[in-house]
Amino acid sequence: MAVLANLLVDGLAYGMVLFVIAVGLSITLGLMRFVNLAHGAFAMIGGYVTALLAREALWNFWLALTAALVLTGLLGALLEALVLRHLYRRSELEQVLFTIGLAFFLIATTNALAGPQVQLIPLPPELAGSVDLGFRTLPAQRLLVLGAGLLVAAGAAYTVTRTRFGVWLRAAVDHPDAASALGIPIRRVQCASFAAGAALAGLGGVLGAELMPLEPYYALKYLVLVLVVVAVGGMGSIAGSLVAAVALGLVETASKYFASQWGSLFFFAAMALLLAWRPNGLLKR
Amino acid sequence: MAITFRRLLWAAALTCVVAPGLAVAQPIKVGIVGPFSGPFAHYGTLFKAGAEAYIESQGGKLAGRPIELIYRDTGGPNPGQTKSLVQELIVKDKVDYLGGFVFTPNAFAAAPLAQQSQTPMVVFNAATSAITDKSEYIIRTSYTLWQVTVPLAQWAAKNNIRKVVTAVTDYGPGIDAETAWKSEFTKQGGTVVESIRMPIATTDFAPFIQRIKASGAQAVYTFLPGGPPNLGFVKAYNDNGLAKAGIQFLGTAETDEFDLQKFGDAALGLTTAFHYSGAHDSPANRKFVEALKKKDPNAVANYASVGAWDGMVVIHRMIEATGGTRDGLKAVAAARTLQWESPRGPVRIDPKTRHIVQNVYLRKVEKIGGQLVNKEVQNFGPQVDFGLDK
Amino acid sequence: MNTAPRVAPPWRLPAIVAAAGIAAWFALPDQLGLLTRLFTTALLVLSLDLVVGVAGLATLGQAALFGTGAYAAGIFALRVMPDPLVGLAIGVAAGACVALASGAFLLRYRGFTLLMLTVAVAQILYSLASKARDWTGGDDGLSGFSPGPLLGRFAFDLEGRTAALYALTVLVLGLYVARRVVDSPFGLAVRGIHENRARMAALGTPVFTRLLAMYTLSGALAGAAGALSAQTNAIVGLDSLGFAVSAEALVMLVLGGVGRLSGAVIGAAVFTWLHHTAASINPYHWLFVIGGALMVVVLMPPAKVWAWLKSRKAAS
Repeated sequence: MAVLANLLVDGLAYGMVLFVIAVGLSITLGLMRFVNLAHGAFAMIGGYVTALLAREALWNFWLALTAALVLTGLLGALLEALVLRHLYRRSELEQVLFTIGLAFFLIATTNALAGPQVQLIPLPPELAGSVDLGFRTLPAQRLLVLGAGLLVAAGAAYTVTRTRFGVWLRAAVDHPDAASALGIPIRRVQCASFAAGAALAGLGGVLGAELMPLEPYYALKYLVLVLVVVAVGGMGSIAGSLVAAVALGLVETASKYFASQWGSLFFFAAMALLLAWRPNGLLKR
Repeated sequence: MAITFRRLLWAAALTCVVAPGLAVAQPIKVGIVGPFSGPFAHYGTLFKAGAEAYIESQGGKLAGRPIELIYRDTGGPNPGQTKSLVQELIVKDKVDYLGGFVFTPNAFAAAPLAQQSQTPMVVFNAATSAITDKSEYIIRTSYTLWQVTVPLAQWAAKNNIRKVVTAVTDYGPGIDAETAWKSEFTKQGGTVVESIRMPIATTDFAPFIQRIKASGAQAVYTFLPGGPPNLGFVKAYNDNGLAKAGIQFLGTAETDEFDLQKFGDAALGLTTAFHYSGAHDSPANRKFVEALKKKDPNAVANYASVGAWDGMVVIHRMIEATGGTRDGLKAVAAARTLQWESPRGPVRIDPKTRHIVQNVYLRKVEKIGGQLVNKEVQNFGPQVDFGLDK
Repeated sequence: MNTAPRVAPPWRLPAIVAAAGIAAWFALPDQLGLLTRLFTTALLVLSLDLVVGVAGLATLGQAALFGTGAYAAGIFALRVMPDPLVGLAIGVAAGACVALASGAFLLRYRGFTLLMLTVAVAQILYSLASKARDWTGGDDGLSGFSPGPLLGRFAFDLEGRTAALYALTVLVLGLYVARRVVDSPFGLAVRGIHENRARMAALGTPVFTRLLAMYTLSGALAGAAGALSAQTNAIVGLDSLGFAVSAEALVMLVLGGVGRLSGAVIGAAVFTWLHHTAASINPYHWLFVIGGALMVVVLMPPAKVWAWLKSRKAAS
């Protein structure tokens, strides 16, 4: 029984990190049909900026985090408006390769600027300790991750279903031509969504820094995990990403508890099975 | 055939030379193979710093000959590329010695080439016992898991630790570590209650910490590859309450000086058994640290840089023994009898296994002068490579 | 995308590559190891071109086929007999079998889903190989074998002379086979499926069977490349099944030009040479080079640049 509870707690926390990083990519893929393999780099940049501001410039953690999100969002918007939107009409393969090239470039830049060692994010005292839940002790930071993940999911769901921007977003995903004919500013929606996705990835990078240490290769190292979540959850589906992330997080954690000598076999087998069963995404038909 | 003719020419040239000052200034070429890019690039940087610092400390020449170090990047574990690089070093660059090697498969790939070309190959790091068996030209100046684990297991048994759970990374050296611990600890009367293997790509160690807690052991013996996994594991060990629950941490390379400061106070008191601590108190070590800092202020005195330093000591002696000529058999024969005072303590090369025999120390992490260091609290004495010496 | 049937004779590309390869063999006697690696990689990228360029299926799992061939040949050499040609045949067969088996599952999907599933298959094989330490050596790699003399006479020497010519011969043969297949009615049908799947299906082409056949052929060539790698290196590492192999092969293919078969050889040659040179100068900054090159190649594809240059020349 204790094992089950532990599994749930750890699996949920891991899944939430994956979700927060993946949700931006899912929107971008669903909205612009643009395969952005440099998405992991946004997570990395968000983490690095927070780490450097909090550690070197001695900013308050929350301020540093906010600044990092804003910066990453801006970077995303800039990249989208100047470079990436010219690639929307290109083939999948070209998008994949361009963004891989971009990711390589960003890895090399990060290494040149900050060096190859792991960047630690100094947590504020309220987050740095552990919380005793009775049946186990949990790092307080994990609770933040769980909370943040739920907030992001709720916030994203609210934005998409109840705000005007959300209506525009959904229209643009489903029928871009009709939407633009109706006067919806498609370009602005695309740019804003991309920026939001990038900022969220940055948030994921900070939240996940305990699980996925920040170093220059981060941008590509964890990309596969994020892509798996997006593929299984279905492109453009926030709920799908959440379910997929949590499901895969639980599978991976369970495999660590029960069959760790098999490595990531169960993760990828689960992914293959889920994708084969629902090729368009878990919650789509 | 060309090689023999060349050797004759060299021998003739040298015999004609009367005064040592007239010795030819052809540099001795040493090919250093290691990761200089990617997530393990710090090994390459430390090898470079250690090797070059040694040469400078000897006045820029070894046995009167200038040394040319040729660096080749293997990235990560990439045996195919390593073989191709080593082949080029031997055939094109015509290196006299090979050095470096962080990963076991890369060392395995280079071994047949060293054997065929009779090139002495000094392993600065790769720690799987079986490596020195692959070629009689391989000498190792780092350590093996058996070498550092056996004394730790003996110490644990003597200190009333009866039940231990092992948690190692699921790859060659990790499995070596687990086997070594199990073998020695059970021999000493202890019990290994569970053996946990952690996949090499693991980033989230919480589930493993929970398993360790649930196992009912008094201590956890762990082995992890350097870098982010070490950091992740130690943090998880503290954050998930293992330290508070009184489960002792027994490790080897996890408190590596390269990342040690990043652990913060969470690392205080961690117990490890290892062959080198940057804080080792000896004149030889002070000299090493000074020379290293002079060469590269960012370099850290740890097992990688000292492995390179001592590797160059061996190469130095081999050059002396062969008079600067290319004679693999003579060089290795000379290397087998070597002993010297290393920054880690007194060391010698085991003539049978060609692996370094060295003191293994019990260390605890302490804060001295605001810096975290591995303070040596006990000296287990010289240890051989138990993995080969069964 | 050139869709007209080619009129060039099928032996032209292999002959050019053979001539260039032999010239390189004479010109670079000290770097035959690098050359061997180049030939082996070119064969892998060629196999990828059949799937990506001709059949139009984006895949990031070619390493599964390459690694299978490598381990099959390595295990065969270690446990049965060291004859390289038999080992090569084993590698080809192994690659083809895994392609057939995985393709039967994979090819039911398209686009991004297919891409991710190929990654999954490769990672699953990687996990299995890592677990089966007794057979594969795990992450220590499979070593302790060395290839016997080729044709009973030509031993594999330290300088790599035999290995380089062996790899070149297999590459040239592979190119010929690929060329013949791609220019055949079967190849044309597959290209048609790439262009417009619905139309081909409407014409009565058994789409799935054709794609599976092409995928199997690709597996055979990738398996051959793997076997070559195992034999000439005398070691097989887990990295042969890794994601980096698949990704790098794709990058090389794009750099050289997709779909034209010659692009595979060009891309492999350029990438390997660039990597070797850049890495000797400064390994970490290699990523700047390759990242920049990729972005430039996508923004300004060589084919378009070539056409633009030609039109400028015609205009002036």
